[in-house]
Amino acid sequence: MDADGTSEVLSRLRDVLRESAVEEHDWDAVASETPIESLGFDSLTILDVLYDVEEEFGIALDPKQVVKTRTVGEIITLLQQNGA
Amino acid sequence: MLHLLEYWAARLALFGVDLLPPVAASRWAAALGSLWWTADRPRRRVAISNILRAGVTHDATEARAIGRGASRHMGMVLVESMKSSLVLDDPERLRVDIPGDVETVLEDPERGLIVVSGHFGNWEIAGQWLSRYKPVAGISRPMTNPRVQKLALERRQRGAFRMIPKYDPDPGRFLKLLGDGEILALLVDQHARRGIDVPFFGHPAKTHTTAAMLHLVARTPLTFLVCRRMAPMTFELSLSPLIEQQRSGDRNADVEAIVRTLNSLLEEAIRRDPEQYLWGHRRWR
Repeated sequence: MDADGTSEVLSRLRDVLRESAVEEHDWDAVASETPIESLGFDSLTILDVLYDVEEEFGIALDPKQVVKTRTVGEIITLLQQNGA
Repeated sequence: MLHLLEYWAARLALFGVDLLPPVAASRWAAALGSLWWTADRPRRRVAISNILRAGVTHDATEARAIGRGASRHMGMVLVESMKSSLVLDDPERLRVDIPGDVETVLEDPERGLIVVSGHFGNWEIAGQWLSRYKPVAGISRPMTNPRVQKLALERRQRGAFRMIPKYDPDPGRFLKLLGDGEILALLVDQHARRGIDVPFFGHPAKTHTTAAMLHLVARTPLTFLVCRRMAPMTFELSLSPLIEQQRSGDRNADVEAIVRTLNSLLEEAIRRDPEQYLWGHRRWR
């Protein structure tokens, strides 16, 4: 277990992605360095995922910050900065 | 062949538009719309069927009259959109009713706004009016006739209004423009293959969820717009008070609640003026 809880956040994030995504994907292979654009979300499904991520972690993300993220690791950092 | 006919009908309409004063041009376009109603049998059948199914009337003769009126209306929409500066610059031609909470958002350059409407009244005039407050992005599916699409785009006064293709490959585009304080304008009354079933005039209809999801995720204010024609080249534009949906944790329930509200506001507008609605679209599939 890493000290800052990144692994746990990643694991929970994977679970949300698995539940929310429409397309098939190897979610167990998703890692911090995985580019978000490789996850296959479009302008509709990304909103579903964001809603579910916020509900899972009980936080509200700033959309302006979210659109700047490029990798799963950057999303994790954003989640941790917001209290996840 | 049909596309070519439509294109030349549009060119003919434009020729008349350019020769005539605005109100006369609007009536000229209405006459062409009426002619089109007579000529386009498949769309006529869809329109009559939709009007009867919606329960706007149960009388077939009256349904045909409403359908013809709607076809005249669409001809007028085309012309008015191309002569929009006459409307936008004249308070006698455009009466506006904005609730205080919406006005506060419109006048704040930092706050984005989601504006929803349907193919009712003149949504083009409405979009151009909104762009006088802040940049407006509209999502559209290109017209089925590319020749008419090109012609229409060449003639419209756009200002700070721009179109985004319906299937935008950039998932963050909408969030970014709303975060930048812009307006996202959406017409939500076309069949949405990936939408949810929500009653429209009492019958389940696949309905777009983008506006609802953006409201829930971006926490951007949401309002419903109606731009009703009162006379040729004269309109009454009204916005609903902000629609607020608290998140319950049940995404589907939250989205459905918003979409039901939007559909009911559109129904209300259509019931008042059924001849100002685009009935020729296969809404229920």
